[in-house]
Amino acid sequence: MKQPDKFQLRTETKEGKCIVYVSGELDLEVATQMRAAMAPLVELTDRELTLNLRDLKYIDSTGIGILLSVLKARNAQNAPFTVEAIPPTIKKLFDMTGITPFFTQKIV
Amino acid sequence: MNAMKATEEMVTLQVPATAEYVDLVRVTLYGIAAKMGFSYEEIEDMKVAVSEACNNAVLHAYGNPATGTTAMAPDEQPRMEIRYIKKEDALSIVVKDEGQSFDAVAAVGAPQASPLMGKSIGEINPGGLGLYLMQALMDQVEVHSESGTEVILTKRLVRSEETA
Repeated sequence: MKQPDKFQLRTETKEGKCIVYVSGELDLEVATQMRAAMAPLVELTDRELTLNLRDLKYIDSTGIGILLSVLKARNAQNAPFTVEAIPPTIKKLFDMTGITPFFTQKIV
Repeated sequence: MNAMKATEEMVTLQVPATAEYVDLVRVTLYGIAAKMGFSYEEIEDMKVAVSEACNNAVLHAYGNPATGTTAMAPDEQPRMEIRYIKKEDALSIVVKDEGQSFDAVAAVGAPQASPLMGKSIGEINPGGLGLYLMQALMDQVEVHSESGTEVILTKRLVRSEETA
């Protein structure tokens, strides 16, 4: 059976940049998978880290919590972290929780 | 709590209190709320709020709310019950678990602003975000902790007169 909302994560590395594409539903069920995938990438401080949310359908507070911890870890190491292509429904939640200003500190 | 009125209809869903079932709770919510005439945006809001209540139930049942990790299942599988109560002018969703109550005191002292507001990157942490989102996205949030925890989320249905 096709599962259009199933969480998927794909990483693209090129020219000193690392772009992570997440799609589907980023929630409690996949939190462990997401944390495990991001952990080694966060440590690559000589590369720009970008999270592309274009195909993300849903996020909950667990997912927002993971983004927060990536943000904090990158910030502590003075390494760039960008979140791009945020869909409107997800942007609304980011605005509501007040996380948006932390993401937009770096202009893309 | 009040008994149900004659004009109310209830759909009950009982599922294992695991993260794997929260999406089923969302899908069911979508079906009921769409049939009642809620807008896409209202349904999206409710999906997040109901999922947050379920996440709490799952974390009570198995895990450690502080770290957000889920622990090994005990012998007897904990369950959670979701009651969708269709009212004339509102939808209430009751999420009930058998676990230890989460911070009911924090729930009563409803945060008016996000726990992230006005903080620096060094200070922020995700604690309390789920509860804040429930309150921000629903019209009413009640938390009862007697045997287990019961979270009641209510969204009013505002029908536009012009649309048929």
